[in-house]
Amino acid sequence: MQTLDFQKMEKIERSASRKRTFYRWLLFITLGIFALYYLAPLYVMIITSLKSMEEIRQGNLMTLPGEIIFDSWKTAWSGRDGIDAGNVFLRPFFWNSIKMVVPAVAISTFFGALNGYALTKWRFRGDNLVFLLFLFGCFIPYQAILLPMARTLGLLGISNSISGLVLVHTVYGLSFTTLFFRNYYISIPDEMIKAARIDGAGFFKIFFKVLLPISAPIIVVTVIWQFTGIWNDFLFGSSFSFGEAAPIQVALNNMVLTSTSVKEYNVDMAAAFIAGIPTLLVYVLAGKYFIRGLTAGSVKG
Amino acid sequence: MATLKVSNLTKNFGNTQVLKQINLEVSDGEFIVLLGPSGCGKSTLLNMIAGLESVDEGEILIDEYEVNRVEPKDRNIAMVFQSYALYPAMTVRDNVIFGLKQRKVSKEQIEKSLKHFSQMLQIDQLLDRKPAQLSGGQRQRVAMGRALVREPQIFLFDEPLSNLDAKLRVEMRHEINKLHEQLGTTMIYVTHDQVEAMSLATRIAVMNEGIIQQIGTPQEIYEKPNSVFVADFIGSPAINLIQGTFSKDGTATNFIPEQQKDDVKISLSGYSFDSEPEDGQEIIFGFRPEHINLPDASLKSQLPVELKPSMIELTGYEKEVSFEFYGNEITGRLPRHIDTELGKPISLSLDLSEISIFDKESNQRI
Repeated sequence: MQTLDFQKMEKIERSASRKRTFYRWLLFITLGIFALYYLAPLYVMIITSLKSMEEIRQGNLMTLPGEIIFDSWKTAWSGRDGIDAGNVFLRPFFWNSIKMVVPAVAISTFFGALNGYALTKWRFRGDNLVFLLFLFGCFIPYQAILLPMARTLGLLGISNSISGLVLVHTVYGLSFTTLFFRNYYISIPDEMIKAARIDGAGFFKIFFKVLLPISAPIIVVTVIWQFTGIWNDFLFGSSFSFGEAAPIQVALNNMVLTSTSVKEYNVDMAAAFIAGIPTLLVYVLAGKYFIRGLTAGSVKG
Repeated sequence: MATLKVSNLTKNFGNTQVLKQINLEVSDGEFIVLLGPSGCGKSTLLNMIAGLESVDEGEILIDEYEVNRVEPKDRNIAMVFQSYALYPAMTVRDNVIFGLKQRKVSKEQIEKSLKHFSQMLQIDQLLDRKPAQLSGGQRQRVAMGRALVREPQIFLFDEPLSNLDAKLRVEMRHEINKLHEQLGTTMIYVTHDQVEAMSLATRIAVMNEGIIQQIGTPQEIYEKPNSVFVADFIGSPAINLIQGTFSKDGTATNFIPEQQKDDVKISLSGYSFDSEPEDGQEIIFGFRPEHINLPDASLKSQLPVELKPSMIELTGYEKEVSFEFYGNEITGRLPRHIDTELGKPISLSLDLSEISIFDKESNQRI
């Protein structure tokens, strides 16, 4: 039997702990650099929106504002007093977007859940083919459906309207929401559904009473996904709506690009920030569940 | 209270036939255990009885009424699942009364049943908890409560104890046994655990590869297995099976082990054949480990043997000892106080009144 060489062991331990500290620092420094890199544009946006035009013209992009002014935020949101013609401001379009995003998210999430439930718990002949077709929908590029969709909306008489955009986003979103819910429900034991069937519950009763109450994580994921996608969408908004019916992203574009005289960078930045607030809020409030929901189902609880 | 009859039941999943012409008759108040290795079709059969799987061919009759196309909820059955299958979002109370609510049972009646059965199963303290806050045993009780309050005609159990630890499993087994005695309801129970099957069943149906291999009382199944499969599947440690030939010399019938040095014959005169084999036919000679033991003068026919232990395992109550026996390794169950030593021969005797003989070709009992 060989006795342990304590001095040697101590030396090994010390060097291991030094190594650990070094790598820990390396990790945090790398992460810090990346965080700064990604946050820099946000920083510039915020400080620019709080500066006056004179200060912006001095060209110090990164310096903090000498005096904090909220005027540009007010202008971006509700326009400038006394000027009417050609004055685009975000308030009405913000509500347009809300009116579009709430029903579109709600409907696509609900039907996604229903589809996922039917595809996993009420198997039928060819159900995998149906699912495959849904999956296929995820890979169709937006641009490919612009013309046929414009025609369809025209036939339905809802072109250039909020309801038209709700329909487009619902139909397009169903592929994704179905995929999410299907993958979540497949991890839920079938025995639970069997028990409910024997207990006398039907298709919808089982869905509402048994399955939906335990779907919170995946509902959060789907809502965030859909909300961000629909709120930030520009292509459908600009293709299928104009003027008064446009969503906020289209209005933001009009506002920034149609300025007649000088570019008001502070107002533009404030407007861009306002347009981004709802998605930011959704992430901050539900982000925790987003990660949890994404990983749910991969490991059996 | 109900009878169940299954006739010529067949089920296919794609190209695989999981059930082949199953016939089963269950009389009122019986406790039938479907026993078999995984993949033998026992759970599929249970699901079909419950109405959760469609019937491809054949029919299922409950109280002489054909229920092939009757919805599960209208068959007046209740089922307990291996994973408990409780509704996670509901409290224990709501879990238990969910079925009654669907049936629009009156509030007073629901409360009465809930009180009665929750006390009976000792879950009355847990009614306001969620399933996630319960232990495995408690969840199983709740699952049983959910089945009991419905007061069904037939109870179906799908491996209800498989997820419990060994001690709890024994406890719950006793409770299910008591329950059957109290209620006297027809029960059908699926398991792969032979101890559960033996201790619970009034009759066991041993299944393999989509066929019921043998159906009978636990004692019949254990003592007179009708095939090598059943003999081997039932009993732990497994039955000893020795290959050899049958020989007939005048009226004397003998078994000659395949591998032997000196003209050994084991007399089969005490064995009553269903159909006597021909001289020279290859047969399998089977005897259970407990039938190799210390010589006992009271036995009618026994074969004295001198055996050397090749492995000794103390299980607590007794010893399981392996021996070499004409080229086969056999196991014997000996009392724990007997002196055994590896390689040191002991005089034992083989009880010939409890043997089973199978035809080698068909693997059936003869």
